[in-house]
Amino acid sequence: MPQVDFVCMGSSLVRRCRSAAPICLVAAALSVAAPAWSQTSRTDAVAERQAEKAKDLKPRMPPGAERAFKWVKDELIDEPSGLYPLFGSVYSGGGFTLGAGYRRYYGDNTHWDAKVLQSIRNYRLLELSTDSWNHAGGRLDVHARAGWRDAPDVPFYGLGIDSPRTAAGFGVTQAYGGADAVWRALPNVRLQGGLTYEDYSVAEQSGSRPSIDSLFTPLTAPALGLDPAYWHGTASVGYDWRPAAGYARSGGLYQVRYHRYAGGVDDFDRVEGEVVQHVPLVRQNWVLSLRGQTDAILGDTAVVPYYLLPSLGGGDTLRGFSSWRFRDRNAALATAELRWIPNRNIVDVALFYDAGMVAPEFGDLTLRRFKSDAGIGVRFHGPAATPLRIELAKSREGLHLVFAGSAAF
Amino acid sequence: MRPSTLRRITHAAAIGLAGAAVATLLAAGPRGAGPRFFHDDPLTREPDTQDASKVKPWDIDLTIDLATNLFSRPGDKTADVRAQNVNTIDEVPDSSWFTNRIGARPLSIEDAVRGPLRSDGPSPDGWTVTHAKEAGFSPGFTMQDGAGVTWFVSFDPRGFPEAATGAVVVANKIFWALGYHQVENRLITVRPDRLAISGKATFRPPSGVRRPLRRGDIDAVFARAHRNADGTYRAVAGRAIPGKVLGGFRYHGTRPDDPNDVVPHEHRRELRALKVFGAWTNLVDMKAGNTLDTLIEVDGRGVVRHYLQDVGSTFGSSAIGARDYDEGYDYLYQGRPLAKRALLFGFPLPVWATVPYPDERAIGRFEGKVFDPTRWKPRAPTAAFLRARPDDTFWAARRVAAFPDAMIQAIARTGEFSDPRAADALAAVLMQRRDAIARAYLPAVNPVVDVALSPEGALTFANAAVDAKVAAAPASYAVEWARFDNATGESTPIGQRTVVTAPRAAAPDRLPTTAGAYVKVLIGAVDGPRAWTTPVAAYFRRTASAWTLVGLERQP
Repeated sequence: MPQVDFVCMGSSLVRRCRSAAPICLVAAALSVAAPAWSQTSRTDAVAERQAEKAKDLKPRMPPGAERAFKWVKDELIDEPSGLYPLFGSVYSGGGFTLGAGYRRYYGDNTHWDAKVLQSIRNYRLLELSTDSWNHAGGRLDVHARAGWRDAPDVPFYGLGIDSPRTAAGFGVTQAYGGADAVWRALPNVRLQGGLTYEDYSVAEQSGSRPSIDSLFTPLTAPALGLDPAYWHGTASVGYDWRPAAGYARSGGLYQVRYHRYAGGVDDFDRVEGEVVQHVPLVRQNWVLSLRGQTDAILGDTAVVPYYLLPSLGGGDTLRGFSSWRFRDRNAALATAELRWIPNRNIVDVALFYDAGMVAPEFGDLTLRRFKSDAGIGVRFHGPAATPLRIELAKSREGLHLVFAGSAAF
Repeated sequence: MRPSTLRRITHAAAIGLAGAAVATLLAAGPRGAGPRFFHDDPLTREPDTQDASKVKPWDIDLTIDLATNLFSRPGDKTADVRAQNVNTIDEVPDSSWFTNRIGARPLSIEDAVRGPLRSDGPSPDGWTVTHAKEAGFSPGFTMQDGAGVTWFVSFDPRGFPEAATGAVVVANKIFWALGYHQVENRLITVRPDRLAISGKATFRPPSGVRRPLRRGDIDAVFARAHRNADGTYRAVAGRAIPGKVLGGFRYHGTRPDDPNDVVPHEHRRELRALKVFGAWTNLVDMKAGNTLDTLIEVDGRGVVRHYLQDVGSTFGSSAIGARDYDEGYDYLYQGRPLAKRALLFGFPLPVWATVPYPDERAIGRFEGKVFDPTRWKPRAPTAAFLRARPDDTFWAARRVAAFPDAMIQAIARTGEFSDPRAADALAAVLMQRRDAIARAYLPAVNPVVDVALSPEGALTFANAAVDAKVAAAPASYAVEWARFDNATGESTPIGQRTVVTAPRAAAPDRLPTTAGAYVKVLIGAVDGPRAWTTPVAAYFRRTASAWTLVGLERQP
């Protein structure tokens, strides 16, 4: 049994207690409590210590950092209504984006929400929305939103997979308003439909690139010089058995989405197909994640504004290329990732390979002409979300660093 | 010395200091400052002498508690501190935290199967829902039965019948037998159409705006719960704990407004012992949120009683399904292994990646063949978990080893699994893990126990590791005798060191016989594992007609 050594008495108490603090503190306590030895029983000695504590009882006072953390958590995160911080994206290529929102409930599961986002490249978003979910026995969610988005410096490299690396620039603003509904018809089956009015205005870009008007014509940049507005209808059906869309190591998504744009220059239709499959290996110590994606404008004749064409490039598609690097009427993308899981709750690391192509005709999408990149990434995640994804991708056009606030797929 | 300097130092260590002092008082008096042993040693009950009725309820934030435990090392920073609430014979006295049961007192299988149950459960009719559960993952609600008793009802998640509810009742009885204050949990069958909703019941929906509880809110609970084929639901009903609810307790520090709480929790042996008990049962969710303090009245004084309130996060199922593979193997966050595996492409392959689990859905991912108790980890380490020393784990392992097969099997059957193979599988794994714990921890210190000295001077003792059949008996033990001066702490050898081949020895002729005399006996193995050669010191006090064990020191 450890013996307490009464060496730290008198004037040397402080110095010795600093160097051998714990033991000395016990000894100091005991020496201070010397009268305890006048007690005749162990029970009395314990009672004396408890009586000493009883003289100075006080509720716990959390340290300042804990109080600050709790305030942030309670007021900005947990509180259903009120102000909250926002990390998101205004538009692809906008860079790091911060914002704030204000949410107010007006039903058990219904709130309105106002938010503002601003990126370091001066991309901006204002949006007012209302969301209501878990109707019809928890199967139906409905959403409505109206907003204004401004992307003042968007690159345009021209059409096709062989477009040059030199980009022109343009600015685009979009005012929109609409609603959609999601119906979970069966477990894992999602049906979605929505209608939005979208009004686009193209302006001079704010960056250092040459103006799109100086390098392109309406033939090489469809609808150049026009500011169309569309009624944009969407419908999708998907089977999604991933544990969560924001972060998954197993399951898959098989989805088709149809778009109908009416008004504007011409009416046109667009179809997206996406297949995602996560293959866990050795109990999810590794995960092979695969994605195939196509995006096609239906028909050959409708004029589709260049900024509404399918595109590749950027942190969600071809990560080794700049955002919006390739545009055309059809696009295909294949991605493979080998992820390993150093910690199942916080972080993934992945090696990835992306390959994709755009083409004027769907039949022109041939594997041999796919552009590709490869890289490595780190993803900081929770059980259902990936708030930070950092990736370094290499392509023939150089190295690209990706910062994103969502899962790769 | 400047008074302010001393004040800063003492304030900085105030809680730990007071606790350490009392602990030392509980265990042994300081040499030269007073008697080593008091007349009431060894204490069999840790006293609560002060009125704690002014204790205020608190709410321990789960995120802060988790972050504190994962990213810092709260509590006393001193390494290798002996448990401070043990008595002079190295045992944990009964207290507001703990009641000695298995391994300390006779405990029949019937007692263990009954566990904390003191009633017949909720009355058959008149169930009225008073709250829908608003926190945690498992579906549930609070109700009053026809007799006005409040019960907390929780269900199995949809698709995982019997797993969560079975774990709760089985673990409930195990932890009761181990000595912890437990809630009375009963398996019940709920028929939704027989539930009434109290007119005073309220509910807090996602909006955060509290409103009257509606039938739809209860329907939403049932929608997440596993439904039996006949439309009923199996559930666990936990009886409301008596007393005023004060919130949970932390596994470090003390409650500053409880005058009787003077031993830092990280230095309480029964909390350190959860390193072993947790490993045995896979109690991975060892957080403050699963504990509960209540204020009760004892002898006219307010006393805080401490519960391990929720031990349902055990075995191989979580509240929402089978456990993740890594639970029990990794903390939620560990910096160095994380960095290593990030740099090495996921290598080395973690143990959990290849562990074979029994194919029993009702008990989930819970196995005993690969299980290594020394490497088991909860989701987040508590300060008490990290401070456990070999003498603490030895103490805990003796209690685990004290569960006979028949008792484990009987307790497992209280889970009332519809497939009896599930109970058998659960019991089998618990027995495998019990044996692994005994193998790991009993031989790790000198396992001499049950030391006794007859009035005639016959010394007997046992070897816990040998008795548990996890180690071979040493060829011989060395025994040394000494007179012990209780006032000065000085020992005076009596006779020569003797070597015995069996766990018994005769006292030397010159053993004192006067009442109040003390002798000290050192017992260590001559060979055997190295730790066994460090002697255990036993202290006996002579009464008029017998020798009483008053002290036992086991070096870790």
